[in-house]
Amino acid sequence: MEEAIINVLELSIWSGIAAVGFGILFNIPRKTILVVFFLGFAAGLVKFLLIHFNVNIVLSSLVAASFVGILSSPLAHKVHHPPVVFSIPAVIPMIPGYYAYETVLSIMSFTFMEKGSPERVELIVSIFYNGFTTLFILIAITIGVSLPLLLSRKETVKKADDK
Amino acid sequence: MDKLKKTADLLLDISSLLMVSGANTNRINLSLTRFASTLNCQAYSMVTHKTLVLTVTDNETEATFTRVKKIPKYRINFSTISSISRASWSALRDDWTIAQIEKELHIIKSHNRYPRTLVLIAVSLAGAGFCNIFKGDYLNMLVAFISTLIGLFILQTAHNHKINAYIATFLASFSASFLASLGVFYHLGEHPQAALATSVLFLVPRVPLINSFTDLLDNNILNGMVRFTNGAMTFLSIALGLFVTMLLFQLN
Repeated sequence: MEEAIINVLELSIWSGIAAVGFGILFNIPRKTILVVFFLGFAAGLVKFLLIHFNVNIVLSSLVAASFVGILSSPLAHKVHHPPVVFSIPAVIPMIPGYYAYETVLSIMSFTFMEKGSPERVELIVSIFYNGFTTLFILIAITIGVSLPLLLSRKETVKKADDK
Repeated sequence: MDKLKKTADLLLDISSLLMVSGANTNRINLSLTRFASTLNCQAYSMVTHKTLVLTVTDNETEATFTRVKKIPKYRINFSTISSISRASWSALRDDWTIAQIEKELHIIKSHNRYPRTLVLIAVSLAGAGFCNIFKGDYLNMLVAFISTLIGLFILQTAHNHKINAYIATFLASFSASFLASLGVFYHLGEHPQAALATSVLFLVPRVPLINSFTDLLDNNILNGMVRFTNGAMTFLSIALGLFVTMLLFQLN
């Protein structure tokens, strides 16, 4: 059990580092770097804990992304930057690059490498499984991050309309 | 008329800056509405990937002015998005004039990015982090770090020479996966395949993909599809680079 906790913590810390790394690539404001690390870490913690308890990766991503989305609204008021600036870098490590990579690789192998029938059927399974997992994780992350933003955004639009 | 022309140019400048910095369509429209109501007019826009069309209507005289702007090269910059958002709130609160907004925009444009070396190291650390998430050990993480470093360096150099973005992605993907394949070839670490898979992950078009789905959620279907296609094209370039490496090393 202890080993599992340390493992999850290590993964979460690396998620935080990955979030900050991409944040710097996207030129986030200096003040938000710590917030991005904390949110990336928290998202990783939620996601890997859920995966540890055998929750499906799509559902874990949805819960972790919603966690980031809900936290980012009060944080935005605290650091005086719009929530997107740190909520998007924080979920960057969760984007299913690996599944997408597997999908494209399977498509390439299917087209150019394998000629035998059973191997090709296996590749079709891999293309569908990895492709749809990629799509669903992406949708889960977007919904998780933007639902609180979408809800709060409606209020601001309303105020502008009333004027 | 002169005032309207100036307003239209300013609003177009702001929205194109937001677009290239990686804002989604809804945020652009929101900022336009805020700035336009500060300047006492209405703004109606059509936002596409390459071009912006904007019509401003003066609230008092009802005179209109339409202008089109080509969108410059995309370069994600969250500091710009944040600064423009803050400026839009201050402008609305303190009733800024055109000159004030122009001055603020000039300041926002002149902000420096992080130094290239820092970006290289930060993204390479992120690459090493991904490798750790995919069960790589520390030797694999080192391989992922170095491959990402060289790959990103080549990507940046290609961007600076104004090479087509997809070709630049292909070159970066090929060089990064080539270096990581050396790890597979010499059996470095426990899971050299993890380093190979994560060496190209820094190229994944994350912001276009997220923006694509937020645009789709907001019913900006066209822009969402454009961004998704953009992301898919980038994926194909990554895959092509990886595929050439795999052919060379006879992997798979």
